[in-house]
Amino acid sequence: MLSYSRLVKVEATLHGDRKVYSVSAFNRGVGSWLSRLPTLWVEGEITELRRQEGWQSVFFTLKDLEDGSCLPASMPRVTFDALRLDVADGDKVHVYGRPELYEARGVFRLRALSLEPLGLGAALVRIERLKKALAAEGLFAAERKRPLPLLPGRIGLLTGNEAAAKRDFLTAVAARFPAARVLVAETLVQGVKAPGAIVGTLGDLSAEPEVDVVVLARGGGSFEDLLPFSDERVVRAVAACQVPVVSAVGHEQDTPLCDLAADARASTPTAAARLVVPDERELRADLTRLRTALGRDTRRTLERARQSLQADAQRLRGAPALLLERKRARLDTLAGRLRALSPRATLERGYAIVRTESGIVRSAKVAAPGTRIDVELAEGALGARVEETRE
Amino acid sequence: MSTELGFEQARAELERIVAELESGRADLEEAVRLWERGEELYRLCVGKLDAAEGKIEELGRRAEAVKPEG
Repeated sequence: MLSYSRLVKVEATLHGDRKVYSVSAFNRGVGSWLSRLPTLWVEGEITELRRQEGWQSVFFTLKDLEDGSCLPASMPRVTFDALRLDVADGDKVHVYGRPELYEARGVFRLRALSLEPLGLGAALVRIERLKKALAAEGLFAAERKRPLPLLPGRIGLLTGNEAAAKRDFLTAVAARFPAARVLVAETLVQGVKAPGAIVGTLGDLSAEPEVDVVVLARGGGSFEDLLPFSDERVVRAVAACQVPVVSAVGHEQDTPLCDLAADARASTPTAAARLVVPDERELRADLTRLRTALGRDTRRTLERARQSLQADAQRLRGAPALLLERKRARLDTLAGRLRALSPRATLERGYAIVRTESGIVRSAKVAAPGTRIDVELAEGALGARVEETRE
Repeated sequence: MSTELGFEQARAELERIVAELESGRADLEEAVRLWERGEELYRLCVGKLDAAEGKIEELGRRAEAVKPEG
């Protein structure tokens, strides 16, 4: 940057003994001098950030954190966007750049080549902002959560190359369900390239045949170490993943945004294993219970059917006797009625039947005195002659 | 057909069958049919557990394949 080839020769005109420079020449000269200064880091707070799609550069003002002194700054828009920092007014940053003069306007400013948010405060603010925006989009909504498979075909395990998280997960899986199949994918989980690597690996894992659940396992780390798991690209990829995702990132107290977008959250890789595979003994016991119930309920239905069949058979066998009984009863009734009509009953009440040779006597006229008559009583009979006839 | 059934669906169907039998709504013929199906599902589930073989595989490392960002 200190190369003299960048120095321009500035022409002056002479007015008597006075050397006079045009504005353009002056600016060019100063600009040339400024460009000899080194590229360096400047710390300040971002204000008046202006970014528009059509513009080549992004403009902002850096404000001194102590006395409020201001420094206009610009940054190529492509570079700014590529950082994906989501910086906004009020963020404290370190800007890497060099001074330059915007010659057309004679404005001095800082030409920024890179920019880093300063400290955890800014990152926290950024995450909080992203969290609000994604929540408003419905990315963390409970309705979006998908159930995990009861018995996963293959488990995709996305992890860094640290041994602990992977070992804890695999140990817990083997203890609960020795027959589980796990497809392990190690990837970058820290640093600027981590979000891209995680997104890519997540896509690869979920596209593998039979993988029907993916676990993100990352042991505890510093706040910065876990930042990739709050990166917008990662959070969106987790939400959009074609199979359910279990997030086991960091410790209990850390809540990276991918935890909120995941279908289930586990505080440790061991807890994730408990969510992802069933306990084989419990599963077998459960199946045995169902089978026992199946047999018992089927037997019960059979028993009910048998009992109802027996009742039917009994009714069938009893039917002829019943019919006979009914007929006998009807016969008894008839006999009673017949008995009531018989003359015997009348005779028993004290009446008598009188007969001549020509039949039953119903009128005195048919029995002249001296006629022999036969008197039938309830018990026995009398033979007699008519003494007198009264008409 | 039933070989295509996953463990989860098979177990869920078995559970439905048990509930149906438990309710006592099924007549004899239906009960026997349900029982046969239930036994088949039970064998399917246990078979899947018996057949599963634990395996840990590694997916090719991704880190090298990551394209540098803009």
